[in-house]
Amino acid sequence: MIRFEQVAKRYPNGHVGLHELSFRVRRGEFLFVTGHSGAGKSTMLRLLLAMERPSAGKLLLAGQDLATITNSQIPFLRRQIGVVFQNHQLLFDRSVFANVALPLQILGLPQDEINQRVSLALERVSLKDKALQAPTDLSTGQQQRVGIARAIVHQPALLLADEPTGNLDPRLAAEIMSVFEDINQLGTTVLIASHDLALIARMRHRMLTLQRGRLIGDGEAV
Amino acid sequence: MSSARVTPDQPGERVGATTKNQVQATLSDTRGFRNQLRAWLENHRASCVDSTSRLVRQPLGSFFTCLVMAVALSLPMGLALLLENVSQLGGSWQRAAQISLFLELDAGDTYGELLRDKIAEHEHVAEAQWISREQALTEFQEQSGLGEALRELPDNPLPGSILVTPEVIDKDALVALLDELKNMPKVQQAQLDLMWIERLAAILQMGEQFIFGLSVLLIAALLLVVGNTIRLHIENRRTEIEVIKLVGGTDGYVRRPFLYMGVLYGLVGGVMAWLLLAYGLNWLNDSVVQLAQLYGSEFSLSGVPIEDGFSLLLGAVLLGYIGAWLAVARHLRELSPR
Repeated sequence: MIRFEQVAKRYPNGHVGLHELSFRVRRGEFLFVTGHSGAGKSTMLRLLLAMERPSAGKLLLAGQDLATITNSQIPFLRRQIGVVFQNHQLLFDRSVFANVALPLQILGLPQDEINQRVSLALERVSLKDKALQAPTDLSTGQQQRVGIARAIVHQPALLLADEPTGNLDPRLAAEIMSVFEDINQLGTTVLIASHDLALIARMRHRMLTLQRGRLIGDGEAV
Repeated sequence: MSSARVTPDQPGERVGATTKNQVQATLSDTRGFRNQLRAWLENHRASCVDSTSRLVRQPLGSFFTCLVMAVALSLPMGLALLLENVSQLGGSWQRAAQISLFLELDAGDTYGELLRDKIAEHEHVAEAQWISREQALTEFQEQSGLGEALRELPDNPLPGSILVTPEVIDKDALVALLDELKNMPKVQQAQLDLMWIERLAAILQMGEQFIFGLSVLLIAALLLVVGNTIRLHIENRRTEIEVIKLVGGTDGYVRRPFLYMGVLYGLVGGVMAWLLLAYGLNWLNDSVVQLAQLYGSEFSLSGVPIEDGFSLLLGAVLLGYIGAWLAVARHLRELSPR
């Protein structure tokens, strides 16, 4: 599903985000990427979302080389990926339903299909009864679950999450992680960037450890 | 529905189908053309409704933007309409550009009428009028106030004349016509006030150039007004744009509501400009009629012709669209993600 081959990312100011990173991720896998601030976790996610291009090396996402992808292809690539942000990135001027429906509207699905899929996604994150509420009326944990519903509503093959439990207490964090596991059980590849080692250790999935842009560990979290 | 449809319970297996055609092909497996068309129309409808409601939610700001557009549009359009109205005084101009042919005193009425008919058939002549010696004397007596003195004269000193109204007011054509007419038999003198024609033509040309220059400046100002207004809307919706792009929205999808906004600003601004012009011309008309009456004319300003009104609306909508397009294109490049 994902192949990093000697991928490096250097910025014009001389900062090096990633140093010749190489690893593979199988389809349907669940893995964490961990490391301190500045380790390169977010850079890796930005490369996978084609927000940035690698400076060197080969980055393949299901066979598509993200170093050579054209600007007009990028939106169609992103439609195959779900993204969950630490700060939720919800739109507060519209309802929970409208937030979750956004990717489906972009896909141009008919309204009845949108209704059906949004209901299922909200049910999966246990927020079906909050569909018509504004995101501001929800707790932080519920807002994060709305973000997850939006990320999975179009059934992406790959789900990326950047510090999804960063602002949550341990109970809510565990709850969110269980939602990710449920989604992974359905076959979606899940890649989560997090520095919450305690939480990662409890889940016993593969973990990539980054330090200053280099891969220093690849194995099951203990 | 095709059996290839992805059910809501199964994650997609489509990563890698990232070219536009491949993705569209995948989508077309699951949706017929009619559904795609319906979705596309629905998307446009939603963008239009969303843009309208955003403008309505900021009534004062929207009103002033449209008012600025209306003023900027109505100024050159109003001047152009005034010039058009003045050009409708063409009949009067042609009279002012009339060529007076004075015949020799021994040319009788029969010859004068024959010559008038011949001149009237000329391709550059709109009208020719014969004024006999008696008619000329009567008019002169009435207008000069020298009636009694003229009656004392033993003979009528005034010649018969032909007033020639040219087809077009053009200096070169008029000079050629004048040369032709003054060489006709029994024509003693031919008169044409060319200086007046030249001044009028220069004034009209200056007016047209002024309106053109003003229009260019105001169009540039309009594009800036619309562009700046749309830029503020883009800034207010920065997060939304970023999220839309991250979940797969194309630049076209992001651009669409802002283009509708530009079109709406243009449409409302155009309607307001039309109303301003109609009201302004009507208000000015009283003074114009009064002034024209002092010169013995029944001239009055006409309103905004319906075709000019629709041209104004179309122009305003186009300007709104172009202004919005330029603003969105510029700011989309600046917004991350790509």
